Amino acid sequence: MADDMQDFAAEARAFLDAHAPKAPDRTAPSWGEGDDSMAYFSSLPPEAEREHVQRARDWQRVRHEHGFGWITGPVEYGGRGLTPVHDLLYDAVESEYDVAHTGVLSVIGLGMIGPTILAHAQPHIKERWLPAMYRGDAIACQLFSEPGAGSDLASVATRAVREGDHWVLNGQKVWTSVAQHSQIGLALTRTNPDAPKHRGITAFLVPMDAPGVEVRPLRQMTGGADFNEVFLTDVRIPDDHRLGEVDGGWTVALTTLMNERATVGSEGVGPVAAALSPDHLSALMRATWTWDDRALRARLAELLVDALATRHLNTRALRMLRAGGTPGPEMSVSKLMYGQNLTRAAHFVSDVLGPRIIADTGQWGTYAWSELLLATPALRILGGTEEIMKNILAERVLGLPKEVRS
Amino acid sequence: MTADETGLRELRASVREFLEAKSPEEAVRKLMESEPRYDPAVWAQAADQLRLPGLVIPEEYGGDGFGLVELGVVLEEMGRALLCAPFFATVVLAAQALLASGDREACARHLPGIAAGRTTAALAVAEDSGSWDPALISARAVPDGEGAWRLTGRKSFVIDGTTADLLLVVARTVAGPSLFAVDRDASGLSAGPMETLDATRAMARLTFDAVPATLVGADGAAGRTMAKVLDVASVGLAAEQSGGARRCLEASAEHARTRHQFGRPIGSFQAVKHKCADMLVQVELAEAASREAARLADEGSAEFPVAAAVAHACCSRAYMFAAMENIQVHGGIGFTWEHPAHLYFRRAKSSQLLFGGPAVYLERLLDRLGI
Ligand SMILES: Cc1cc2nc3c(=O)[nH]c(=O)nc-3n(C[C@H](O)[C@H](O)[C@H](O)COP(=O)(O)OP(=O)(O)OC[C@H]3O[C@@H](n4cnc5c(N)ncnc54)[C@H](O)[C@@H]3O)c2cc1C
Repeated sequence: MADDMQDFAAEARAFLDAHAPKAPDRTAPSWGEGDDSMAYFSSLPPEAEREHVQRARDWQRVRHEHGFGWITGPVEYGGRGLTPVHDLLYDAVESEYDVAHTGVLSVIGLGMIGPTILAHAQPHIKERWLPAMYRGDAIACQLFSEPGAGSDLASVATRAVREGDHWVLNGQKVWTSVAQHSQIGLALTRTNPDAPKHRGITAFLVPMDAPGVEVRPLRQMTGGADFNEVFLTDVRIPDDHRLGEVDGGWTVALTTLMNERATVGSEGVGPVAAALSPDHLSALMRATWTWDDRALRARLAELLVDALATRHLNTRALRMLRAGGTPGPEMSVSKLMYGQNLTRAAHFVSDVLGPRIIADTGQWGTYAWSELLLATPALRILGGTEEIMKNILAERVLGLPKEVRS
Repeated sequence: MTADETGLRELRASVREFLEAKSPEEAVRKLMESEPRYDPAVWAQAADQLRLPGLVIPEEYGGDGFGLVELGVVLEEMGRALLCAPFFATVVLAAQALLASGDREACARHLPGIAAGRTTAALAVAEDSGSWDPALISARAVPDGEGAWRLTGRKSFVIDGTTADLLLVVARTVAGPSLFAVDRDASGLSAGPMETLDATRAMARLTFDAVPATLVGADGAAGRTMAKVLDVASVGLAAEQSGGARRCLEASAEHARTRHQFGRPIGSFQAVKHKCADMLVQVELAEAASREAARLADEGSAEFPVAAAVAHACCSRAYMFAAMENIQVHGGIGFTWEHPAHLYFRRAKSSQLLFGGPAVYLERLLDRLGI
């Protein structure tokens, strides 16, 4: 590791030592101890959910005050001006500590919307929102999908009509994660119905407290409600909240989607990490007396081959970044594999547990897996379905002919 | 010594250029039906021009002292080209066994010849079961009373076993499995070619009838030696496999772009497109697994044994998958003798089972993980 990296890591460690306890080692055999949650999506009651979000904001603020809130961000907006490698290094160090989960802020807002605002917004909008977001004051959501526009995002139908120096938005968004906690959303709207689909879209930053914005929680199959329907009725947005050119919103969307792949593909942290931990899975097999089942052992090994190879893929992407290059198809492959690995892990474990995953016997670390099991279908859908990711790999990496599109 | 990225690119380019000239498909097809199953002139050029046999042999034994990262680059290229040569047996198996034995005298005696390309060598471990588990070995060695040994028994699946100048043989003594060196011309040794699924990789059955042999390393130490060799050899094999898998993917993508049916390139049909994408995913994982394992080996990392087992499993699966789907994407032409797809299919299946197959290597991964 280069000197400045070592200094940076030491600085991060000093900060964390002063502000957070060390995390219990989740990968070490600790069967039967502590929290056995395997929740990928939260399914907390509203009061607990609000507390959870507040803890996330508080931790983000502390991070930001000490220079670790936006490591790659430009200094003028409160960033640190360092490289993605510093960012990853910080994440690695932080994972050794027991800190609040900040996914509600970081996955979509800081991971996807922040970089898009930075790339496409006017300077005073950047000044208004970027520091607030990275300080934990503002949460952002992605208002892309609509009932009629999922994989085919260019079909968005939410209309934006110009009225002087304002735009008036009307339409419905759906599956909008964290909208219920958000202060702003990045919306794709149709501004030119006559242009070819991709050419008639404009992107806006929508203050979620603007009159006419209504967020309705959607209950998802895990039981909780992380995502929402968002109705936009005569919502007035000043023109300076536009990102990019009029009818040039597709370029803006691509910035977000590119960052989405990188964010979603990165390895899981928190409780779900146990799903791919060799020690945890072998402890589970011991606890359930399935230890010497040859068929299950072979499946465990297969699962670990994929999990460890995916980790190698991420390491290589990181090495490429560190050398100043851009990673190739690694991030898309990684995103695909991550969803599949967790899915396979959940089904492997359900075969180990048998009936113990269908009803709660009270035994530690058994029924808890049902939370992950129920979350896995989403991992093959969100951030671009498996099928769409394969189209992208085949067309962009292998140069196969484009699909016939209308 | 370690090459930087530019060095690795140059190494790859020169090996690829060499193989395109010396091991095109026609040459492979000709050699796989001839005896010996390689071209000694090409082998000599690989040694003289590219110094390939000595690449990973330490400098003190006349080699260039590079690591598994560089070896991986060479093996990926050889895997792409299906090169018929005694490289794998000599450099990846036998030389590594000598080094792993820790026997400096044996290394000094044999490695310089190997590094210079003068000596080819083979490693004889498996018997008729095909298992590489030293505990399952029944060939025996007894002291001849004059400091040497006499070896009796049978070995199978010995890569390049009919042509190698030097044979390294695992046999059982009172102390346990031990490693021995046997000369090609030793009395009591007979070797016959085995018919092989993958004709590009020659294999032999060896019979030992009180053959004079020299102990390599400590008596009874071959269990540990073989564990080390298997880690290195499976990473070498993984590189070869990922190179072959990448070649299959490229062939499929090329075909999918150019072959038309129903008035469109077949690659515009999603069933075909997704097959190719699935191959790409497997190939990317395989490359990452084998290259990271090589890197960890060269860094002397404690994570190497696990990474080696991951690479072995991941690349075996990826190659088999890519070789099968490659035929499917090609349709009927892919099933013809004339088309190279079957050569890769054969190599993929043969490599997948070379060191015992999935049941064995999956358990080895769990073992290396301490599970
Ligand atoms: C948990 C979760 C959180 C989400 N969060 C957000 C969010 O915050 N913001 C947001 O904007 N969106 C969000 N989404 C929406 C998500 O991006 C879409 O669900 C996804 O892109 C798929 O679109 P769709 O649901 O309309 O399915 P469809 O596009 O209708 O797809 C249905 C099926 O058809 C297949 N299909 C469609 N087109 C093709 C094609 N061309 N080739 C092959 N197969 C095809 C799909 O792969 C899928 O299997 C979220 C979704 C989930 C599950």
